[in-house]
Amino acid sequence: MKKKLYIIPLFLTLFSFVVIYLSLQLETSPEMIVGDSMQARSFPIFLMVINLMLVGILSLQFYKTYPKEVELEKFPTWSSMLLFLIFYILVKVSGDMFVAIPTVMFLMGLTWGQKKVWISLVNAIATPLSVFLLFDYVLQVRFPRGWLTNIYYG
Amino acid sequence: MIEALSAMGSVFTDPYLLGLIFATTVLGVIIGVLPGLGATTGAALLLPFTLTMEPVQAIAVLSTIYVSATFAGSITAILINTPGTSAAAATTFDGYPLAQKGEAGRALGIAVVSSTVGGVFSVIVLCIAAPLLARVAYEFRPPEYFALTIFGLSMLASISAGGAVKNLIGGIFGVWLSTIGAERVTAIERFMFGNYDLYEGLSFVPVFIGLFAISELLVQSKMVNKIVETVALKAVKLPTKEDYKRIWKTILRSCGIGTFIGVLPAEGATVASMIGYSEAKRWSKNKEEFGKGSIEGIAGAEAANNAATGGAMVPTMVLGIPGSGTTAIILVGLMVHGLRPGAYLFTEQVEKVYQIFGSMLLANLMFMAMGLYAARLFARVSLVPISILWPIVFALSVIGAYALSQSLIDVWIALIFGVIGFFARRHGFAVAPIAVGLILGEMVETNLQHSLKMYDGQWWMIFAQPLAAFFLILAFLGLCGPYLYSLIIKHKD
Repeated sequence: MKKKLYIIPLFLTLFSFVVIYLSLQLETSPEMIVGDSMQARSFPIFLMVINLMLVGILSLQFYKTYPKEVELEKFPTWSSMLLFLIFYILVKVSGDMFVAIPTVMFLMGLTWGQKKVWISLVNAIATPLSVFLLFDYVLQVRFPRGWLTNIYYG
Repeated sequence: MIEALSAMGSVFTDPYLLGLIFATTVLGVIIGVLPGLGATTGAALLLPFTLTMEPVQAIAVLSTIYVSATFAGSITAILINTPGTSAAAATTFDGYPLAQKGEAGRALGIAVVSSTVGGVFSVIVLCIAAPLLARVAYEFRPPEYFALTIFGLSMLASISAGGAVKNLIGGIFGVWLSTIGAERVTAIERFMFGNYDLYEGLSFVPVFIGLFAISELLVQSKMVNKIVETVALKAVKLPTKEDYKRIWKTILRSCGIGTFIGVLPAEGATVASMIGYSEAKRWSKNKEEFGKGSIEGIAGAEAANNAATGGAMVPTMVLGIPGSGTTAIILVGLMVHGLRPGAYLFTEQVEKVYQIFGSMLLANLMFMAMGLYAARLFARVSLVPISILWPIVFALSVIGAYALSQSLIDVWIALIFGVIGFFARRHGFAVAPIAVGLILGEMVETNLQHSLKMYDGQWWMIFAQPLAAFFLILAFLGLCGPYLYSLIIKHKD
């Protein structure tokens, strides 16, 4: 097994042990509540034991047949994940999803190769606006108050 | 029976429902032709929009998306060699080569007719099989349900994407996700890290939006520079008499295969179409044509994938075990709208159940009309630049994730699961097993707890129940059967 391929089984093994450790920290219930059934910790531990067995089989498979190397992601993928982070920060700062959504949509359009800025801009404004109005009038969903929604809701 | 039939018929005379199904079929076909979107993502995105609808209307919308998007995947499979949905992957093998020969209209005509026959056949089977299975399921107790969910999870091993082991790991991860929140019997908080928004567990909707829609967005970001070549299409042609003579047996066989595969828990249209295609090839007198534009290949794949849609609804509605990724979302839709899936649904809500079946039947007929008369128009939709399409999907995803509980935590959950789903897919793990595991997780744990209580902690008593033992043996054979078989063959050699 090549070096890089250890990462997946290693990560899954680590994950299983962390879950087992966290499960062992859970409180136990009195006998009169649980009776002959299971404690809250038993089921996750049971799952992780099965998971460890499966990871063992997976490692063996990787050892026998070398899987295809995974290509590193290019700019649009990483930038999209970065945009998710920007979305989170914008929502936290403005308190408003409808400040964050158009900003991220606009930037996503550009990073995904849209050369005409106005098309990306129109898309970023028209889509959230129409979805917002649909949810507000038809589905009567209230969105969190923030910079823009405060103006709308009054 | 008459009550059920009249409930089904009422769908055809209700103008609101007719209009709704028509509009949803158009939307479903558009979703199906857009590469990457597909029935599962479409249903996940549309679920929040059904919040204020009546239960029947909401489930009709979701099931219409399911059948119409499953069909529509074939349009792009034939015209641009890119399956709109994974279920149409087998259609590219012969659909595109036939289109390249200048017979795109004929290929689409065969796909439309085969899909419709497959879809209608499976709805008829659904109407007959679901109540019968419900009668059997009425007798199920916790041990039987526990064994059945284990069988459902074991079937994840054979989902087409990913490998068997990877799918099972995904399923286990999904089941573990269902343990987040307060434990149902003891109310002990598990893996919440002090976040009380998670007290009642992870909501299905944001997790599904993340796993299916947002992870797909990240996958599609790799396709930014992909160049698409289209094949010219003048008009869709209905199959000729000669064509019918060649494909009718294939269609019927694929109808049976597709419906059967669909009924199996956790199996879906993709597996059905692959098996439908390979069986069409196996039984064909013109094997040499396969891969070069065989009409039997198109019919075999298309009849099977649409037949799986009705089949997959059987375990979903009767047992609460999803037959595919999309039916997992329909199952969540049923729960959100207060229709608890299971045997009781068929005794207490018969009318609603048959209205849902009726709407599926109607959707099958509607996409036939659209496929025949508007395929050319819909094919153009697939050329929408991804730099416009996927920012829209992002907006719909975050708003949809928020809408159900009107909580921002659901938006963060959707984004986190989008990234998890992307990295899982990047390393060959399919996301459908995670979704199915999450749904089945609660059933597994609760029924195991009840079974243990029933038998005073003697877990081995579960194996003493005939039906439970039957399902557990099936699960064992499903998991180990192929390996045992290959060992026996090796030993014989």
